[in-house]
Amino acid sequence: MIKFNTLDYLKLSKWDRFCLKIAVFLNLIPARIFALVKKLLILIKNLLLAIYNEAADILVTFINGDWKTRLSYVVMGFGSIARGQILRGALFLLFEIVFILYMILAGGHWLSLITTLGKKGPSTTYDPILDVYTPVYNDNSFKILLYSVLTVFFIIAFIFTWRVNIKQNKIAQKILASGKKLKSSKDDLRSMVDDQFHKTLLALPLTGIIIFTVLPIFFMILVAFTNYDGSHNGFTNSLFTWVGLDNFNTMLSWTANTQGGVQSYSATFGEVLTWTLIWAFFATFTNYFLGMFVAMAINKKGINLKKLWRTILVLTIAIPQFISLLYVGKMFAKNGIINGFLMNMGWIETALPFWEKANWARVTVILINIWIGIPYLMLITTGILMNIPQDLYESARIDGANAWQQYRKITLPYMLFVTGPYLLTSFTGNMNNFNVIFLLTGGAPTNPAASSAAGSVGYTDLLVTWLFKITTGAEAAYNIASVIGILVFVAVAVISLVVYNLLPSIKNEEDFQ
Amino acid sequence: MSVNVSSSKIEKRHMGLKASRNLSNTAIYILLVAISIIWLIPFVCILLQSFRVESTIQVGYVIPRVWGLNNYKNLLSTDFPKWYLNTFIAAMATAVFQTIIVLCMSYTLSRFRFKLRKPLMRMMLILGMFPGMLTMIILYNVLKDLGLTQANSVPGLILVYIASSGMGYYVSKGFFDTIPKSLDEAARVDGATRFQVLMKIILPLAKPIVIYTILTAFMAPWGDYVFARYISFGTSSGKNVAVGLYDWLNHDQIDKCYTMFCAGGVLVALPVTILFMCLQKYYVEGVTGGAVKG
Amino acid sequence: MKKFLALLLTAMMALSMFSFASASSLAGEYDVTIWVAQEIVETTKAQVEAFNQTNTDGIKFNATIEAVSEADAATLMITDVEAGGDLYCFAQDQFARLVQAGALAKLGVAAQEYVVTNNAAGVVAAAQSGDAIYAYPLTADNGYFMYYDKRVVSEDSIESLEAVIADCEAAQKYFAFEMQTSAWYLASFFFGTGCVSEWHTDADGEFIDVTDTFNSPAGLIAVKGMKKLVDSPFHLSSSSGAEFESGAAVVVTGTWDYKTVEGILGENMGVADLPSFEVDGQSYHIGSFNGCKLMGVKPQVDAYKAAALHKLAQYLTGEACQMERFENHAWGPSNNVAQASEAVQANPGLSALLAQSPYSVPQGQIHGSWWDIAKVIGDDVKAAQDEAGLQAALDNYQNKIAALFTLSDEVKNGWTVIGTVNGTNWDTDFPMVKTNAIWQSTEAFAMEAGVEFKVRKGLSWDDNFPAENFKVETAGTYYVQFDEATGTVSLVAAE
Repeated sequence: MIKFNTLDYLKLSKWDRFCLKIAVFLNLIPARIFALVKKLLILIKNLLLAIYNEAADILVTFINGDWKTRLSYVVMGFGSIARGQILRGALFLLFEIVFILYMILAGGHWLSLITTLGKKGPSTTYDPILDVYTPVYNDNSFKILLYSVLTVFFIIAFIFTWRVNIKQNKIAQKILASGKKLKSSKDDLRSMVDDQFHKTLLALPLTGIIIFTVLPIFFMILVAFTNYDGSHNGFTNSLFTWVGLDNFNTMLSWTANTQGGVQSYSATFGEVLTWTLIWAFFATFTNYFLGMFVAMAINKKGINLKKLWRTILVLTIAIPQFISLLYVGKMFAKNGIINGFLMNMGWIETALPFWEKANWARVTVILINIWIGIPYLMLITTGILMNIPQDLYESARIDGANAWQQYRKITLPYMLFVTGPYLLTSFTGNMNNFNVIFLLTGGAPTNPAASSAAGSVGYTDLLVTWLFKITTGAEAAYNIASVIGILVFVAVAVISLVVYNLLPSIKNEEDFQ
Repeated sequence: MSVNVSSSKIEKRHMGLKASRNLSNTAIYILLVAISIIWLIPFVCILLQSFRVESTIQVGYVIPRVWGLNNYKNLLSTDFPKWYLNTFIAAMATAVFQTIIVLCMSYTLSRFRFKLRKPLMRMMLILGMFPGMLTMIILYNVLKDLGLTQANSVPGLILVYIASSGMGYYVSKGFFDTIPKSLDEAARVDGATRFQVLMKIILPLAKPIVIYTILTAFMAPWGDYVFARYISFGTSSGKNVAVGLYDWLNHDQIDKCYTMFCAGGVLVALPVTILFMCLQKYYVEGVTGGAVKG
Repeated sequence: MKKFLALLLTAMMALSMFSFASASSLAGEYDVTIWVAQEIVETTKAQVEAFNQTNTDGIKFNATIEAVSEADAATLMITDVEAGGDLYCFAQDQFARLVQAGALAKLGVAAQEYVVTNNAAGVVAAAQSGDAIYAYPLTADNGYFMYYDKRVVSEDSIESLEAVIADCEAAQKYFAFEMQTSAWYLASFFFGTGCVSEWHTDADGEFIDVTDTFNSPAGLIAVKGMKKLVDSPFHLSSSSGAEFESGAAVVVTGTWDYKTVEGILGENMGVADLPSFEVDGQSYHIGSFNGCKLMGVKPQVDAYKAAALHKLAQYLTGEACQMERFENHAWGPSNNVAQASEAVQANPGLSALLAQSPYSVPQGQIHGSWWDIAKVIGDDVKAAQDEAGLQAALDNYQNKIAALFTLSDEVKNGWTVIGTVNGTNWDTDFPMVKTNAIWQSTEAFAMEAGVEFKVRKGLSWDDNFPAENFKVETAGTYYVQFDEATGTVSLVAAE
């Protein structure tokens, strides 16, 4: 590790300092990766340890427990009811009854089919009297998978609740043994709006998130290991089953072609990923710097009607993005208003191919995104700009710094410091920015080598729009889409983690003013 | 002597500065005017196009040759009013319920310190990185089993919008973090339950962020195309404005429906814009206060 | 085919004795959803009502008619068959996908008979997968022709592509013929010179085979013709009737734009079939695609409901309803009788289509990706500087087709005869069959002196023999023989 003392560091020229920073950064990468892996291993170790501890605790509680506790192992809530905590006990018991009923009536059935995802597929029969062909629908792989996953979740929830029940018994026993009184039901109710208020508040939102976000994501991850697509939709044309890592192989191989295209999935993935990263980079940073610039321009001393300028820009946020993007997209069409205007003025002879050529389309999309994004960025940066202490600028001016130097040394570092995390979330958000691309171009112009049947992957397609086309196109390759989704997630997560860990180092560097 | 010289030098410097400042100010004014024009052009265009009656196709000029309200009248004879109503109901319901849920979530994460807090926040950050597109097919199937698709799409949409809205706590939490905890402490010392602290002390102070959340929650359903299309599944009475208007711009119908689209777009933009302009102050406070802290 | 029909008729007579008894058991009320294009929603409502009144089986439909565009209908049905419409209209290019998804009910014997007798063979082919019919043809006007501004293009010019281009250039107006964004239009040049691109499906809707001759001397002539068009500074790649508003004098598009164009041009509107282009002294009439829209029945678990729906579908795609749609919305009928009617013949748009029809190719089943692969030809042709560039465009196309859909090994390794045999012009491959290591043409050709040919492998020019064209010296009827081991081509006289 290269170490400089402060004096020597200040002696270095600017260029050397820059090189030094890069060298330090690169030097740190292997150490960082190593640290990350170490953290992961520690996490796993802690997890296993925790499970072991829990198991041990359960055993110990049973051994040390009185008859009320031991009975609670089978009849949940019994211990609580027997000790006078009616409310808690009743809730536990109710949960157990519901769970057992569910497993008997439905859960067992679904779980039994989870390995095969259905045994009997659909068939067609001919009715000679009526002269019609009617389908016979049997198992539904999709439903089997869905409800099995739900059942598994339910089982996990039950185990968790059962564990809590045991713990409660243990704690209650201890409290009684030491002579104190247990909380009554009334106390419980009161604590729900007081020190346990967070549980009350979080109950509903978390339930919603678990059912409507966690469950679908988990389900889609599982789909990546099946062959669920348009020709195997699990019900009307064929069942689908587990295929292990086949989809990953297809995705990452260089030979299997995209559906309908002539280049491999991995080549298409590479192309689309590259464009997605470029797009996210430009979309985030052009908006950021230009928005900051506009905010500074409006903020400058001597500019009147500040509110008017801000209001006009903010108007763009008010209009639903849907309308403005669709309309602006049409404005740039071959027979749209922009071309019409330019031709009427005589500045061009033929219509400019805004959406017809790949690079034109890409640049246009970035430009229009600037139009969408600047007002929002302007708002944010205005707020922060106003917080920068003015005397910093004064002292800089006295020292002879011009506007550009003031910007570089004071404004920019401060802004980056405060909005670092925001930039990161903005970058990853832009990587998944479906609306702008879909409404403006729909991914056009088409990339013929990569096109998917009836989906036409294009040069402006992001990973998310490509995903959308795969799932809603004619081939409906949900399995491939899930694989891509997982890869997207990994890409975004890696970028976020890396950059997030990078931020503190930037912070520390710039803090010395 | 030297003093005079230097003072005149300073004067000259001041005047030089002033002149350059005037120059840069003028340049900025020109820039701002140009920006305002560019930013407003699409909306002016769409407004003007909605009054064009001489043809319904897409043309290359902006000012209509024949003005009239035909396009608005034609809107009424399509299913547009139904779509508008659907979206409006969805927006109202989302505004109310989503605000409640987001506030619950962000207040809890801001104020309480419990064991699962950090893991929870990290989990939600990670969950947010999954592309939402994938989950549509399964949400569609779940809603189908519940009977909330096609004609009953509005309850289905509302359910989906609000169910996962807790994940959007980021901005609100940032705002709550700026309210000093000492207020909480003082109130609790006086014997208030956490619930009372929330209702009586925090919420009145959090007015900007509440209004911000209501506003963003209201605005969202108007622009949701992908999911609404899935849920409405071909039933015209179940569509929202986004799906309906989008279909008017596809290859088959654009020649007949382009100006109607413009008229529809104006009508859709109207309530949201008016609401936004009235509550602009709160929106700005919310954004600047909460968006960059967190 | 005839045998099949005879068998059919006998079977039908036998069945009709049973069907008499069961006809009345169809009686009842059925709740159905019907998906049709926005335009014809009202008309369809009326037609369903008429069916309810006039049918003799006692069927009463409570129909909810939804406006769903044809493209959307196909996508939605593929996503979820169960929740889809019971009857729905779709464009034929989605047909194979819909069959694959199990979204179309196979037609019963009587229904298939109905479709076959009432529609032209090309139209029936659009509704066939393997040997079974899965949908009812609704329209047959999905083709294109030429609309022109009479003030710019004179009556004399409309026969020749070069003349039309000259007229446009003189008046500084555009000739809009979509060459770069849609293969549907540019394929017309290839059809004009006799190239084909035929795809075959099996009973499940899977594509199993393709016969594609775009990359051939005929194809080269086609792209030369295309080059003439795209090289003009006044060529516009667009197919929208609205172009007349923004400076076009000729637009190649279909009947759906009739009202738009009429609205803009009024009495200056001219309608004609596509012109011919000239290459190397020979004139070729530009061809076109002729596609149709189909109406499909969703597979129903309830056999009675299914039978009732099929009856409704037959009614809605019957002559009367098709004529009604023609009168109200100018939708060109597919029904043979309707097509021959005076009113249809008199409609300018449809009559232009009919004039074009000898040169038009029924769309048939086409692999979804073909469209994207073929449309690149337009860009490549525009960029090409010389003949080598044009040939490269064709090679590029063929490689993609070959890569996308590998020719079956049989075809890949098979040899064919190609040349001026039997009056063809290097654009037709005649099959050969291998016996004891010698390939022989499956049929004997009557050849005059001077006929030239070659033998080639796998429908491509990679391997071909002999090095110089084989020239026939003496007239006669011969089989062509080819020894793969030695590469010798010989003629064997037929008895």
